[in-house]
Amino acid sequence: MSNTSNTLKIHTFTCAWCGLTVTRNAADDSVRNHCPSCLHSRHVTDHVEGGPSDCEGRMTPIAIAVLRTGDWMLVHRCVRCDELTSNPVCADDNQLMLMRMAVRPLAQPPFPLEALGSL
Amino acid sequence: MPRRTRRDEAHHQRRKEVLHAAGGHRANDFRCVGCRLTVSVRAPGTAHRNHCPNCLASLHVDRRIPGDRDSACRGRMEAVAIFARQDGEWMIVHQCLSCDELSTNRIAGDDNVLALMQLALKPLQDTERASRTLLAL
Ligand SMILES: [Zn+2]
Ligand SMILES: [Zn+2]
Ligand SMILES: [Zn+2]
Ligand SMILES: [Zn+2]
Repeated sequence: MSNTSNTLKIHTFTCAWCGLTVTRNAADDSVRNHCPSCLHSRHVTDHVEGGPSDCEGRMTPIAIAVLRTGDWMLVHRCVRCDELTSNPVCADDNQLMLMRMAVRPLAQPPFPLEALGSL
Repeated sequence: MPRRTRRDEAHHQRRKEVLHAAGGHRANDFRCVGCRLTVSVRAPGTAHRNHCPNCLASLHVDRRIPGDRDSACRGRMEAVAIFARQDGEWMIVHQCLSCDELSTNRIAGDDNVLALMQLALKPLQDTERASRTLLAL
């Protein structure tokens, strides 16, 4: 009984935002660090010192960064300590959520888009 | 480039305490690591300019707080993404090419509109992904 729950803990995590039980290994054999449904994550590694972080704060997805290879990276910010991380998106991540993040800045451009009309 | 009034108001709302000393008028100029432009640290809308208004590149000098100048890295930081804050203000995500460190910075009133727009549109250049998303709708 306790063996089963331990095994579950090693192979899965509970999403800090939507509560989904997520398997750590994605279909493409990569290790998942964020929820494939709502894209939220948890601050568990300290990237400056390396190794585990004791923050454990929830990390909100804030931006999509595109690598030179064309691959998408998901940028997270910890709501507790403001730490920023960037991780590859997984093949089975919620595509609608990803696209929603990608277009969000375009809904509120800081300049009138007509300004670009004369290109 | 004309700006919306709402944005102008937002830009004038507060002056942050800045950590750099107010030296002579040339003392605070810097040369951009990306495009070699000579840039004044005084920027409309921000108390502390941390990126080039032309190519948006920056230098890895701050450690934790913007303006603390506490990092020994000095690597070149590239603008890798745009995101909108809750209040709609655009922020640039910078990543250091030397150590991978990330930072977020407010845009300035005189940032290159084309460069900002290109950055914001980058994820949408992948038309295959956009098509797949449309199919999923
Ligand atoms: Zn979730
Ligand atoms: Zn944290
Ligand atoms: Zn430049
Ligand atoms: Zn660096």
